Amino acid sequence: MRIPGFIIPIFIAVALTGGYFLRTAFTQPTTSVIHADQSGKMSVFVVDGLKCGGTASFFSSLYDSIPGIYGITTYATEHKAVFNYEPELISQDSIKAVMEATIFFNDGTSGQVFKCLSVE
Amino acid sequence: MTTVKNRHIRYSVSIIILGLVVYLALGFGARTFEAYCPFGGAESLWGLFTTGNFSCTLGPLNLSLMIALIGLVVISKKSFCGWACPIGFLGELFGKAGKAAWKKRPKVPRRANAWIKIMRYVVLVAALYFTYRTGELILRGYDPFFLIFSGFGHGSIGMISVIVLSLTAIGALLIPMFFCRYLCPLGAVFDPFSKLGLIKVIRNEESCTACGTCGDSCPHDIPVQTYQKVRHRDCTNCLECIDACPDKGTLQLRAGL
Repeated sequence: MRIPGFIIPIFIAVALTGGYFLRTAFTQPTTSVIHADQSGKMSVFVVDGLKCGGTASFFSSLYDSIPGIYGITTYATEHKAVFNYEPELISQDSIKAVMEATIFFNDGTSGQVFKCLSVE
Repeated sequence: MTTVKNRHIRYSVSIIILGLVVYLALGFGARTFEAYCPFGGAESLWGLFTTGNFSCTLGPLNLSLMIALIGLVVISKKSFCGWACPIGFLGELFGKAGKAAWKKRPKVPRRANAWIKIMRYVVLVAALYFTYRTGELILRGYDPFFLIFSGFGHGSIGMISVIVLSLTAIGALLIPMFFCRYLCPLGAVFDPFSKLGLIKVIRNEESCTACGTCGDSCPHDIPVQTYQKVRHRDCTNCLECIDACPDKGTLQLRAGL
């Protein structure tokens, strides 16, 4: 069967669109930290600065000793962090304050690494 | 009357894709441009199987695009490479500039060409090994796609990255599709599937005069005039051979085994 040349970009467009929508089937977290095997309130924070495995691990570590956080799952490419927390112990504003706090690095520099863009 | 050549359509598609990648690289999209790199799909596999997580900046979109593009390769060979890949497009433009500057540019001998192509498998193995070993995209500093669109961003390795990109650009001026032919790991991933490609260029042996114009026009130096069905793994269905053939209808794009 003879095929006109303009069919090729149509196939490419279909493949790229299909690949784009197929991504939901492969959604896996970048990091997943569980502090307590309990289920509390779930909130999704969209975080500027959460962009790779390294920043996701660092982000999660900020909450290692914060009471009321049961677990954090990050999705770096989506810039999202899903918090499982106890709202009676820690509020959304407090979670936000922890991530937006100034970080002091070992080399003597300091600055804000993460910024909460929204909470879903 | 001017006829619309396949090349005009192809370049239009390539310019649109290049524009989209630049748009993403400038930070306008919801994701970084790297999230759309299909080779990231191959790099993410080890992390997914061993830890259930994506490594570094990789995400589900890398993997889903790679799977979708493998499907595309089975249908229409490496058409993504010839029609949509921004690095392939830039490489082709450099190749044309090189040809304009050096009309009698020597060709790489066919046997040597075949041997040097093994380099892309070496690059593939190295890229996967170091990514799996470290969990980081450690070859970013050597990756033209990352270096160009990130503007030598985080992950580039200073002067070494500049030298690697410069050598790639010089190579592209001297040898058409230099990076795609010899160094592209995504091309190596596509290779086994490309042979299966259902849509390919077919040559009518009765009307063909074996003038060799098609082979000369092929950016990958495939001797099209020697094939009845162009099953060659490097064929990107760019259709330059069909545009160049003086006997219209001798080369046709057809579907079938």
